[in-house]
Amino acid sequence: MMLEDELTVSTRERDGVAIIDLVGDVTTFAEEKINTAYREVTNNGARFVLLNFRQNDYINSAGIAILIGIVTEVNRNSQRLAVSGLSQHFQKIFRMVGLAQYAEIYQDEEEAIVGFKRVA
Amino acid sequence: MSSPAYIQTGMELSLPSELGFEVIARDAVAAFARRLCLPADQIEDLKTALSEACINAIEHGNSLNPDLRVQIYCRFEGERLIVEVIDEGVSPVAPKNAPLNVVDKIAGLGSLRGMGLMLISQLCDEAGFVAGKDGGNCFRFTVSRRHANGVGY
Repeated sequence: MMLEDELTVSTRERDGVAIIDLVGDVTTFAEEKINTAYREVTNNGARFVLLNFRQNDYINSAGIAILIGIVTEVNRNSQRLAVSGLSQHFQKIFRMVGLAQYAEIYQDEEEAIVGFKRVA
Repeated sequence: MSSPAYIQTGMELSLPSELGFEVIARDAVAAFARRLCLPADQIEDLKTALSEACINAIEHGNSLNPDLRVQIYCRFEGERLIVEVIDEGVSPVAPKNAPLNVVDKIAGLGSLRGMGLMLISQLCDEAGFVAGKDGGNCFRFTVSRRHANGVGY
Protein backbone atom coordinates (compact mmCIF):
# COMPACT_ATOMS: atom_id res chain seq x y z
CA MET A 1 0.00 0.00 0.00
CA MET A 2 1.47 3.34 -1.02
CA LEU A 3 0.29 6.84 -0.38
CA GLU A 4 1.79 8.74 -3.31
CA ASP A 5 -1.59 9.41 -4.90
CA GLU A 6 -3.01 10.94 -1.77
CA LEU A 7 -1.93 14.50 -2.63
CA THR A 8 -2.96 16.75 -5.52
CA VAL A 9 -0.75 19.77 -6.14
CA SER A 10 -1.58 22.62 -8.50
CA THR A 11 -0.46 26.22 -8.98
CA ARG A 12 -2.21 29.45 -9.83
CA GLU A 13 -1.68 33.19 -9.43
CA ARG A 14 -3.88 35.68 -7.61
CA ASP A 15 -3.15 39.36 -6.98
CA GLY A 16 0.57 38.88 -7.44
CA VAL A 17 0.73 35.84 -5.15
CA ALA A 18 1.77 32.44 -6.45
CA ILE A 19 -0.56 29.95 -4.84
CA ILE A 20 0.37 26.30 -4.51
CA ASP A 21 -2.75 24.31 -3.64
CA LEU A 22 -2.02 21.18 -1.63
CA VAL A 23 -5.10 18.99 -1.46
CA GLY A 24 -4.68 15.81 0.56
CA ASP A 25 -2.00 14.19 2.66
CA VAL A 26 1.50 15.65 2.95
CA THR A 27 3.95 12.80 3.53
CA THR A 28 7.28 11.61 2.18
CA PHE A 29 5.53 10.77 -1.10
CA ALA A 30 4.68 14.45 -1.66
CA GLU A 31 8.26 15.59 -2.18
CA GLU A 32 8.45 15.56 -5.95
CA LYS A 33 5.05 17.15 -6.46
CA ILE A 34 5.65 19.98 -4.00
CA ASN A 35 9.19 20.71 -5.18
CA THR A 36 8.09 20.69 -8.82
CA ALA A 37 5.29 23.17 -8.07
CA TYR A 38 7.64 25.41 -6.12
CA ARG A 39 10.23 25.38 -8.94
CA GLU A 40 7.49 26.23 -11.43
CA VAL A 41 6.26 29.31 -9.58
CA THR A 42 9.83 30.42 -8.85
CA ASN A 43 10.84 30.08 -12.50
CA ASN A 44 7.81 32.25 -13.30
CA GLY A 45 9.21 34.98 -11.04
CA ALA A 46 7.10 34.55 -7.90
CA ARG A 47 8.05 36.86 -5.01
CA PHE A 48 5.14 35.85 -2.79
CA VAL A 49 4.36 32.17 -2.36
CA LEU A 50 1.33 30.80 -0.56
CA LEU A 51 1.05 27.13 0.36
CA ASN A 52 -2.71 26.71 0.47
CA PHE A 53 -3.65 23.52 2.31
CA ARG A 54 -7.01 21.80 1.86
CA GLN A 55 -8.41 18.51 3.11
CA ASN A 56 -5.15 17.65 4.85
CA ASP A 57 -6.08 14.89 7.23
CA TYR A 58 -2.49 13.73 7.45
CA ILE A 59 0.70 15.79 7.54
CA ASN A 60 3.61 13.92 9.07
CA SER A 61 7.20 14.81 9.96
CA ALA A 62 8.43 13.68 6.54
CA GLY A 63 5.97 16.11 4.96
CA ILE A 64 7.12 18.84 7.32
CA ALA A 65 10.71 18.13 6.27
CA ILE A 66 9.71 18.82 2.66
CA LEU A 67 8.22 22.14 3.74
CA ILE A 68 11.40 23.02 5.65
CA GLY A 69 13.24 22.42 2.37
CA ILE A 70 10.88 24.88 0.68
CA VAL A 71 11.61 27.44 3.40
CA THR A 72 15.33 27.02 2.69
CA GLU A 73 14.76 27.75 -0.99
CA VAL A 74 12.44 30.67 -0.25
CA ASN A 75 15.15 32.26 1.87
CA ARG A 76 17.76 31.65 -0.81
CA ASN A 77 15.51 33.21 -3.45
CA SER A 78 14.48 36.20 -1.29
CA GLN A 79 10.80 35.32 -1.53
CA ARG A 80 8.11 35.55 1.13
CA LEU A 81 6.22 32.45 2.18
CA ALA A 82 2.89 32.00 3.91
CA VAL A 83 0.59 29.06 4.58
CA SER A 84 -3.20 28.93 4.78
CA GLY A 85 -6.00 26.47 5.25
CA LEU A 86 -4.41 24.35 7.98
CA SER A 87 -6.59 22.85 10.69
CA GLN A 88 -6.07 24.11 14.24
CA HIS A 89 -4.11 20.94 14.98
CA PHE A 90 -1.69 21.36 12.11
CA GLN A 91 -1.30 25.07 12.84
CA LYS A 92 -0.15 23.96 16.28
CA ILE A 93 2.23 21.41 14.75
CA PHE A 94 3.73 24.04 12.44
CA ARG A 95 4.35 26.30 15.44
CA MET A 96 5.87 23.44 17.43
CA VAL A 97 8.45 22.65 14.77
CA GLY A 98 9.29 26.31 14.28
CA LEU A 99 7.93 26.81 10.77
CA ALA A 100 5.92 29.82 11.95
CA GLN A 101 9.21 31.72 12.24
CA TYR A 102 9.58 31.54 8.50
CA ALA A 103 6.06 31.55 7.16
CA GLU A 104 3.02 33.51 8.29
CA ILE A 105 0.11 31.23 9.12
CA TYR A 106 -3.29 32.42 7.92
CA GLN A 107 -6.69 30.85 8.38
CA ASP A 108 -7.55 30.96 4.70
CA GLU A 109 -6.48 32.18 1.29
CA GLU A 110 -8.36 35.49 1.54
CA GLU A 111 -6.61 36.40 4.76
CA ALA A 112 -3.25 35.43 3.29
CA ILE A 113 -3.74 37.62 0.21
CA VAL A 114 -4.54 40.59 2.45
CA GLY A 115 -1.47 39.80 4.54
CA PHE A 116 0.81 39.72 1.51
CA LYS A 117 -0.59 43.06 0.31
CA ARG A 118 0.29 44.55 3.67
CA VAL A 119 3.97 43.67 3.27
CA ALA A 120 4.27 44.20 -0.50
CA MET B 1 -20.43 12.74 25.69
CA SER B 2 -20.71 10.27 28.53
CA SER B 3 -18.63 7.11 28.79
CA PRO B 4 -20.30 3.85 27.86
CA ALA B 5 -21.23 1.73 30.88
CA TYR B 6 -18.61 -0.84 29.94
CA ILE B 7 -15.91 -0.74 27.31
CA GLN B 8 -12.84 -2.78 26.59
CA THR B 9 -9.78 -0.86 27.79
CA GLY B 10 -7.10 -2.68 25.81
CA MET B 11 -6.31 -3.20 22.15
CA GLU B 12 -3.50 -4.71 20.07
CA LEU B 13 -2.55 -4.17 16.45
CA SER B 14 0.07 -5.77 14.22
CA LEU B 15 1.29 -4.02 11.06
CA PRO B 16 3.70 -4.84 8.25
CA SER B 17 6.65 -2.45 8.01
CA GLU B 18 5.42 -0.53 5.02
CA LEU B 19 4.77 3.19 4.97
CA GLY B 20 1.06 3.84 4.78
CA PHE B 21 0.08 1.27 7.37
CA GLU B 22 0.72 3.86 10.07
CA VAL B 23 -2.40 5.62 8.74
CA ILE B 24 -4.50 2.52 9.32
CA ALA B 25 -3.07 2.16 12.82
CA ARG B 26 -3.68 5.85 13.50
CA ASP B 27 -7.32 5.60 12.49
CA ALA B 28 -7.84 2.47 14.58
CA VAL B 29 -6.25 4.01 17.69
CA ALA B 30 -8.24 7.21 17.16
CA ALA B 31 -11.45 5.17 17.06
CA PHE B 32 -10.37 3.43 20.26
CA ALA B 33 -9.70 6.81 21.90
CA ARG B 34 -13.14 8.06 20.87
CA ARG B 35 -14.69 5.08 22.66
CA LEU B 36 -12.73 6.17 25.72
CA CYS B 37 -14.23 9.66 25.34
CA LEU B 38 -10.98 11.54 24.89
CA PRO B 39 -11.66 15.09 23.66
CA ALA B 40 -11.23 15.78 19.95
CA ASP B 41 -8.04 17.84 20.25
CA GLN B 42 -6.35 15.13 22.34
CA ILE B 43 -7.32 12.58 19.71
CA GLU B 44 -5.67 14.74 17.04
CA ASP B 45 -2.50 14.86 19.15
CA LEU B 46 -2.69 11.11 19.67
CA LYS B 47 -3.05 10.52 15.92
CA THR B 48 0.08 12.50 15.15
CA ALA B 49 2.06 10.88 17.98
CA LEU B 50 1.03 7.37 16.92
CA SER B 51 1.83 8.03 13.27
CA GLU B 52 5.29 9.32 14.11
CA ALA B 53 6.06 6.43 16.44
CA CYS B 54 4.98 3.95 13.75
CA ILE B 55 7.04 5.69 11.06
CA ASN B 56 10.12 5.44 13.29
CA ALA B 57 9.47 1.74 13.88
CA ILE B 58 8.85 1.06 10.19
CA GLU B 59 11.71 3.12 8.77
CA HIS B 60 14.37 2.69 11.43
CA GLY B 61 13.52 -0.18 13.77
CA ASN B 62 12.52 -2.53 10.96
CA SER B 63 14.44 -0.84 8.13
CA LEU B 64 11.39 -0.81 5.83
CA ASN B 65 11.38 -4.60 5.60
CA PRO B 66 7.69 -5.42 4.95
CA ASP B 67 8.16 -8.93 6.33
CA LEU B 68 8.88 -7.53 9.77
CA ARG B 69 6.03 -6.49 12.02
CA VAL B 70 5.26 -3.49 14.16
CA GLN B 71 3.16 -4.27 17.24
CA ILE B 72 0.99 -1.67 18.90
CA TYR B 73 -0.44 -2.16 22.38
CA CYS B 74 -2.94 0.32 23.80
CA ARG B 75 -4.43 0.23 27.25
CA PHE B 76 -6.38 2.67 29.36
CA GLU B 77 -5.38 2.77 33.02
CA GLY B 78 -6.03 5.37 35.67
CA GLU B 79 -7.36 7.89 33.17
CA ARG B 80 -4.27 7.50 31.00
CA LEU B 81 -4.09 6.01 27.54
CA ILE B 82 -0.78 4.15 27.33
CA VAL B 83 0.51 3.23 23.88
CA GLU B 84 3.51 1.03 23.10
CA VAL B 85 4.94 0.72 19.60
CA ILE B 86 7.37 -2.18 19.25
CA ASP B 87 9.51 -3.14 16.28
CA GLU B 88 11.84 -6.08 15.67
CA GLY B 89 15.00 -4.11 16.36
CA VAL B 90 16.92 -4.33 13.10
CA SER B 91 18.47 -1.02 14.08
CA PRO B 92 18.09 1.29 17.07
CA VAL B 93 15.49 4.03 16.82
CA ALA B 94 16.62 6.19 19.72
CA PRO B 95 18.78 9.03 18.35
CA LYS B 96 22.39 9.28 19.52
CA ASN B 97 22.36 13.07 19.37
CA ALA B 98 19.79 15.71 20.17
CA PRO B 99 17.71 16.50 17.09
CA LEU B 100 18.49 19.70 15.23
CA ASN B 101 16.03 22.54 15.51
CA VAL B 102 14.47 24.11 12.44
CA VAL B 103 16.98 26.99 12.40
CA ASP B 104 19.89 24.56 12.12
CA LYS B 105 18.08 22.47 9.52
CA ILE B 106 17.44 25.52 7.36
CA ALA B 107 21.09 26.50 7.80
CA GLY B 108 21.99 23.16 6.24
CA LEU B 109 23.60 21.70 9.36
CA GLY B 110 21.88 18.32 9.04
CA SER B 111 19.01 16.28 7.76
CA LEU B 112 15.64 17.93 7.31
CA ARG B 113 14.04 14.82 8.77
CA GLY B 114 14.11 13.72 12.40
CA MET B 115 11.39 15.78 14.05
CA GLY B 116 9.06 12.93 14.93
CA LEU B 117 10.31 12.25 18.45
CA MET B 118 10.28 15.96 19.29
CA LEU B 119 6.68 16.20 18.13
CA ILE B 120 5.63 13.17 20.16
CA SER B 121 7.29 14.51 23.30
CA GLN B 122 5.44 17.81 22.94
CA LEU B 123 2.07 16.25 22.18
CA CYS B 124 2.05 13.62 24.93
CA ASP B 125 2.39 13.64 28.70
CA GLU B 126 5.20 11.10 28.74
CA ALA B 127 7.20 9.59 25.93
CA GLY B 128 10.37 7.56 25.61
CA PHE B 129 12.00 4.23 24.88
CA VAL B 130 11.60 1.47 27.44
CA ALA B 131 13.08 -2.01 27.66
CA GLY B 132 11.43 -4.24 25.08
CA LYS B 133 11.19 -7.98 24.61
CA ASP B 134 13.35 -9.94 22.18
CA GLY B 135 15.63 -7.03 21.36
CA GLY B 136 13.08 -4.84 19.64
CA ASN B 137 12.75 -1.13 20.21
CA CYS B 138 9.80 -0.33 22.46
CA PHE B 139 8.56 3.23 22.41
CA ARG B 140 5.93 4.16 24.98
CA PHE B 141 3.86 7.29 25.25
CA THR B 142 0.89 8.29 27.35
CA VAL B 143 -2.01 10.70 27.05
CA SER B 144 -3.96 11.68 30.17
CA ARG B 145 -7.65 12.05 29.45
CA ARG B 146 -8.73 15.61 29.95
CA HIS B 147 -12.11 16.92 31.07
CA ALA B 148 -14.10 19.02 28.66
CA ASN B 149 -13.21 22.04 30.82
CA GLY B 150 -9.51 21.39 30.18
CA VAL B 151 -8.71 19.87 33.57
CA GLY B 152 -7.30 16.38 33.88
CA TYR B 153 -9.07 13.71 35.86
